[in-house]
Amino acid sequence: MKLITKSSLTFISATVIFFLIGSVIMYFSVRNIFSSNLNDILLERKVVLEKQIEPDNVERFYAKEVFVTKLESECVLAFSDTVLIEQEKYVLYRKLDFPYKGKGKNYKVSILESQTKTDVLITKIVIMNVGLAVVFFLILFFVNRHSVRNTLKVFYKTISKLEEFDLNNNNELNLDSAQLFEIKKLNSVIQKMADTLKRDFEVQKEYTENVSHELQTPLAVISSKVDQMMQSDNLSQQQMEHLALLMETTNRLSKMNQALIFLTKIDNRFYTDGSAFDLDQLLKQQLELFEESIKQKQIKLELQIEDPTHIYMNRYLAESMINNLIRNAIVHNNDTKSISIIIKNNTFRITNSGEELSFPADKIFHRFKRSETNKKSLGIGLSVVKSICELYQFNLSYFTKNKLHTFIIKFK
Amino acid sequence: MDNKKHILIVEDEVELALSTIHFLQDNHFTCTHTSTIQSALKEIKNNHFHAALLDLGLPDGDGLVLIKELKNKNQETGVIIVSAKDTLNKKIDALELGADDYLTKPFFFAELNARIKSLIRRLNVEESKKIVINELSIYPEEMKVVVHDKVADLTSKEFSLLLYFASNQNRVLSKTILGEFMSSGYDDYGFSDDLVYTHIKNLKKKLSKLGCTEYIKNVYGIGYKFITN
Repeated sequence: MKLITKSSLTFISATVIFFLIGSVIMYFSVRNIFSSNLNDILLERKVVLEKQIEPDNVERFYAKEVFVTKLESECVLAFSDTVLIEQEKYVLYRKLDFPYKGKGKNYKVSILESQTKTDVLITKIVIMNVGLAVVFFLILFFVNRHSVRNTLKVFYKTISKLEEFDLNNNNELNLDSAQLFEIKKLNSVIQKMADTLKRDFEVQKEYTENVSHELQTPLAVISSKVDQMMQSDNLSQQQMEHLALLMETTNRLSKMNQALIFLTKIDNRFYTDGSAFDLDQLLKQQLELFEESIKQKQIKLELQIEDPTHIYMNRYLAESMINNLIRNAIVHNNDTKSISIIIKNNTFRITNSGEELSFPADKIFHRFKRSETNKKSLGIGLSVVKSICELYQFNLSYFTKNKLHTFIIKFK
Repeated sequence: MDNKKHILIVEDEVELALSTIHFLQDNHFTCTHTSTIQSALKEIKNNHFHAALLDLGLPDGDGLVLIKELKNKNQETGVIIVSAKDTLNKKIDALELGADDYLTKPFFFAELNARIKSLIRRLNVEESKKIVINELSIYPEEMKVVVHDKVADLTSKEFSLLLYFASNQNRVLSKTILGEFMSSGYDDYGFSDDLVYTHIKNLKKKLSKLGCTEYIKNVYGIGYKFITN
């Protein structure tokens, strides 16, 4: 719900309720005023009547809208409303009953005063009032809406600027200084937050690069010294093997460091520039890189490309994504030795034969999760695929059935 | 003047520089080492270098500025950037400024050696364009190998492997080093041991068929060594 709708709704419901209650109260209070006015008239008529009525001949007294009744006991003076039927129409009357004593007998005299005129008047007044209120309400509604909208314009401007703001691009967030105190405050708070974010982001990017630099150089020293030692002639077989292991481990450490830095860069949206290309071309290029491995492992590769599938993304990341999936399919293959790749309906699908997972399937994309049989793998390739898919909001899924493992990427 | 090639090493990590110098001297190069841009500029002014290894993050600035100085002084000086910064942008920057190659730390000496030799061969006009080891001649530019006047029929992978061995004669190359060379790329880790084995086996078979001495020897449990002496 938009802010302006919300505020209008509140305004409308509040005024409608207020007018409903107000009209009812007004109706009754106006009626009350007219009733007491009628009462006064009736009392005046009573004074006149009391002079006109002859005590001897009470029962025969006749006047318009006056009725005399004989009573056993005394009655009290009372006002009331009554309805008479005149020419098949209900007519509302105000009635005054008062006691009258004539010749030792008790009478009740009732005087009637028609309320028709006042009723019409009340209705007219109420209608007029309601009409005025509706006009008043409409004017107020539009004035209010307009002013809120005007105020919100500054607010919406802030929102659209925030939408455009991208940490990775080199654009600074520049919020205009608004006149309204609240908006001004909001803008300054957001501005401050954005500046901090931007600074932190820069620091983090720099940090990533520094970590790389700081770790790689000592690793280079270790590696160079091991390399140097390995060339000595007077080493025993065991010493040589230790050095070879040292070299391999150092190399592994360095690869892992680089892979983690790569992952961090993806997560930090370091690779933002994109280009459009056909997935089938990219796949063929990547498959060429693995041609020998596939041949050497005697893997049967089935390719089914139904449409080229245009995608738009960072080329390097796309290569890495497809490369990691193919490598995964090769490395974790079993004796069945089959890989099938299908591209259709904007979907990339790769299936390989392989042993059952030694861990739950939902952990397959976790970092450093790798099978017991392949200790040499870094266990990071699939996390790279996942990070890339998350970056581009591609839907990545995995399922396994009958020792067949399938990864599916659904492009947007 | 002796025939040794002169190499400038600009590197602020002293231990790494020392190992590199040690290694290069073993391979019959002479080296000059500096750890700052200022002193490197002085060296460039006063000496002729066949190749230079430049670190990028130096105490007094970015090593990239030295590329132009080196190339202005002598186009034939091969410039190899040796950096821990493994970003595409850095590489492009360096290559655009005139660098000839880019090596990411940590690197293997065998790799450095192969690249320096290839650069010197490529950039120096009077440098011999072929490598001759007794009956075996390798022509890097034509990707041709001749044994006893007969051309060996090698795949491109086998050829580059042989060239790599020939650049690193009498040196133990562990499976790790060879695997890295064959795969080039961190993500291929732990992938190429079998591949290396297959390629070397095929290479040895093809060479010995033409009557070539078995230079490539298996070093048990470690790797291989190209033995000529």
